[in-house]
Amino acid sequence: MIEMTQSDNKKGAGRLFIVVIVIVVIIAAGFAAYALSHKTQTTVNKTSLVVEEGEFPDSLDPAVTFSTPGWEIMNQIYQGLVAPNGTSVTTFVGVLAYNWTISPNGMNYTFYLRHNVTFSNGDPFNAYDVWFSIYRSIIMDQSPEFILGQNLAAGNGINFNITANILNSINYTDPNSTDLYYMEYPNQSVQVVNPYEVIFHLGYGYNGYHPYNAFLMTLTTPLAAAVDPKVVEEHGGVVAGSTNSWMDTHAVGTGFYELGQVIQGQSITLVKNPNYWGNYVPKDELNYAIQPAILNTITIEYKSLASRIADLKSGAAQIIEAPVQDYNTLKTIPNVNVSLLPIIFGSSQGAYFVYMDPVAFPAFNNTSVREAITYAINYAGIIKTVFDGYAVQWVGPIPPGFPYYNQSVGNLTPYSYNPELAAKYLAQAGYRAIFPNGTIVNRNHPFPNVNFLYTSDSTSETEAAQIIQSNLAAIGINITLTPLTFPAYEQVVFAPGNETTQYPMGINFYTEDFTASIDYVDAIADGYYIGTSAYFNDSVFNASVNASATFNQTAIIQNFSFITHTMYYQYAIDWLYTPYILSITASDVTGIIPNPAGSGAGYFMFYNTVHYT
Amino acid sequence: MIGRKELILFILKRIIFSFFVIIGTIIIIFFISHILSKNPAALWAGPKAKPSTIAYVINEYGLNKPIYIQLLNFFEGFFTGNFGIDPVTHQPIASEIFYYFPNTIELVITALIFIIIIGIGLGYISAVHFNSKVDDLIRLLYTTAWATPTFLASILAILIFTSYIPILPSGGMYSPGLTPPPRITGIFVIDSLLSGNLADFINGLDHLILPALTLAFLNFGIVTRISRSGILNVKWMPYVKNARAKGVDERRINRYHILRNGLIESNTVIAVMFGWLVTGTVVVEEIFSWPGIGKFAYNAITSDDYPALIYVVIVFTILVIIANLIADIMYAVLDPRIRLGRGIK
Repeated sequence: MIEMTQSDNKKGAGRLFIVVIVIVVIIAAGFAAYALSHKTQTTVNKTSLVVEEGEFPDSLDPAVTFSTPGWEIMNQIYQGLVAPNGTSVTTFVGVLAYNWTISPNGMNYTFYLRHNVTFSNGDPFNAYDVWFSIYRSIIMDQSPEFILGQNLAAGNGINFNITANILNSINYTDPNSTDLYYMEYPNQSVQVVNPYEVIFHLGYGYNGYHPYNAFLMTLTTPLAAAVDPKVVEEHGGVVAGSTNSWMDTHAVGTGFYELGQVIQGQSITLVKNPNYWGNYVPKDELNYAIQPAILNTITIEYKSLASRIADLKSGAAQIIEAPVQDYNTLKTIPNVNVSLLPIIFGSSQGAYFVYMDPVAFPAFNNTSVREAITYAINYAGIIKTVFDGYAVQWVGPIPPGFPYYNQSVGNLTPYSYNPELAAKYLAQAGYRAIFPNGTIVNRNHPFPNVNFLYTSDSTSETEAAQIIQSNLAAIGINITLTPLTFPAYEQVVFAPGNETTQYPMGINFYTEDFTASIDYVDAIADGYYIGTSAYFNDSVFNASVNASATFNQTAIIQNFSFITHTMYYQYAIDWLYTPYILSITASDVTGIIPNPAGSGAGYFMFYNTVHYT
Repeated sequence: MIGRKELILFILKRIIFSFFVIIGTIIIIFFISHILSKNPAALWAGPKAKPSTIAYVINEYGLNKPIYIQLLNFFEGFFTGNFGIDPVTHQPIASEIFYYFPNTIELVITALIFIIIIGIGLGYISAVHFNSKVDDLIRLLYTTAWATPTFLASILAILIFTSYIPILPSGGMYSPGLTPPPRITGIFVIDSLLSGNLADFINGLDHLILPALTLAFLNFGIVTRISRSGILNVKWMPYVKNARAKGVDERRINRYHILRNGLIESNTVIAVMFGWLVTGTVVVEEIFSWPGIGKFAYNAITSDDYPALIYVVIVFTILVIIANLIADIMYAVLDPRIRLGRGIK
């Protein structure tokens, strides 16, 4: 009886198994049919573009966002007075300004504004909006504010100070005499001359009273973009030191695209601005930065790397962002153009080095120790192992490809890997040193163990740190790898005066805030970073000020060269690598004008020129 | 025999106990968040924060007040739904959680449905075919699934179903450009149905299948295993033999004697699994770009967004506690022998 029942049970289960399989097959077939029909419906629409990246923007407010994805959106919706001229990083074209002049002493920039420019909501644009927008960014005082704050300030330090209340009280459409008094007052950072002329007076920012030859580049950042005062005032106005939550999630600019759909955490769609003022500009007056958009919609989706590559393969995405380590894989995908961009693009995203902080770790006061470490690192080995060879070794602080790099470096060669020499310098410093042939000297004086910082969020830094640990162990220096998450790491390495005995050595990097050599020199050489005390002194500081304050090319080169050579011979920073970055597009996408200042997919400014062949 | 009154008393006791566990957890999380750094304001304000931003964080979270006042403010904020402003996104944290959480519930409930169907179905088949090749195959399948790392399964799923056999989207909750339905429950596919928008519903389902199946694949094993062993335990019980000896219909035996009793443990495991899945969606949501609380937590972790992270952890904790509470209650209801800790007599 029981046997019979078990057999019945098995038959029942077998039937159930078959029923489940049949159901699964029917469901799968249904989905396949649906998906195939769906796929046919969504074959590439030549009026729209799908771009896939990794990180959702931090904010949609041009005064707040301080990330590549945020700036990418800003550059399509908002516009500033000027933009980089095509692929150049030293010349500019007018956007909201059609022309400008610089005073002979370099302290005053006068901009002549285009007429008939409007915001996407139809509000007219003029010099009052420029005045409002610049002071708004300064008074809100968010993370990127220093880009303007170097040269401009809300007050003149004597008798004039613009506050949030003043910004909120002015009638920008029909200003009265008091409003005009504020906007036209001559001794301030931004002075309105008339509705279509505005002067920027440098010297009120924290740089002090100096010209700044990279000033135009700072004006190409979203910080200096025109926002509509009427829109801001209707949605909470300006609050000193604070963000505006409406502006964080909405955008009304003068640009060729306007904000379409935002799916929080997933995607942002930009749609062609139907009221774009550039539509009415004669063709011979257009430049690439103001020409109307060709494609109707740009959808930027924020996806994992696996999804991005899959979508590129399937044709669901036309442009994706991917690390250089995937170069060889991506090259095998049909109908996709993958190329290594010139190294200036890689430099703009990140140039890496090892720092040694003598304040935090007294042994680093000995130049022989620093030299030993410098020669112990296998730079070429790191580049080959970590980046498959797709990175270059460099000599800083100006990164490769940036203006004045070659002239500053001159005949200096990147640091070389020489374990024999490394051991010799370590022995010379009095520490136990292991030579490549196995000879050990100063056996009883081992080098003290030192913590080595890097960020565990970066696989390339992690791999590089492990190689460096092995390289140093080979000559007798033991380091303890002490990784931190990226935000915690940033708090250690990017904070001036943050020398700490816990992290006297590690990997650091710099990524541009605006595309200018002085941005890197200020950060790495001028004491804004951890472990700069080995080389930072008044001479280096003065050289960097002089390099930024003159328009004389010879003087700029001399000053940068002085800084580069001073740092090089101190061996306190071991310049590691600058990885290349990739341009990855479907083969029928064209019209991209790459510029390292751009944030579109990390390497171009504007989507208005992008289209299909 | 235990009466209904005793059961209600048991449930009430468990609810009160869970409430105090939640309070205790909140206190622990509060103190952990304050001892992570000597200067929590600098940490919470994020990297490269300006002094004005740090001052704003100090003011926003009352970090210059005595610790007990901060704790009271924290409780007040929690119970009034005022979680403060996220220093990274500049949005109210409560509204962020309110936006992301239903998306995760959508994913988890769908995965749970798959888990129940696949897990119990295979468990039953495996038990019936005990020690056969079918049994071996199913055991191999669930052991492999259980041992597969989440990131690997997710990437393979994307590779197979969006690249080699491109029938499903690689990520996201619905296609950009689609007009989303009015927010009723916050769950996209349900809101689509409620508003009668079939296109949205199909699109939402299309995006839901792959991450939900991946989540189900990774987790069905435990249900299969528990179901199999539960059914096997019951299958040889004297009362089952007795029922057969009395000539009771085999289907009736299966349905009322074997499955009902054999799946008691599976039911409780599924309840616990709900909390487990919600907290375990971080990797799946990140890889499938699913805008849920797991992805929100991932972003908060990678940007050291402590104020947001504190509340995400609290939400996760509360969910786990509630899931355990439900499991306890279900167990007590389904198996009176276990109730009130008396054990099986």
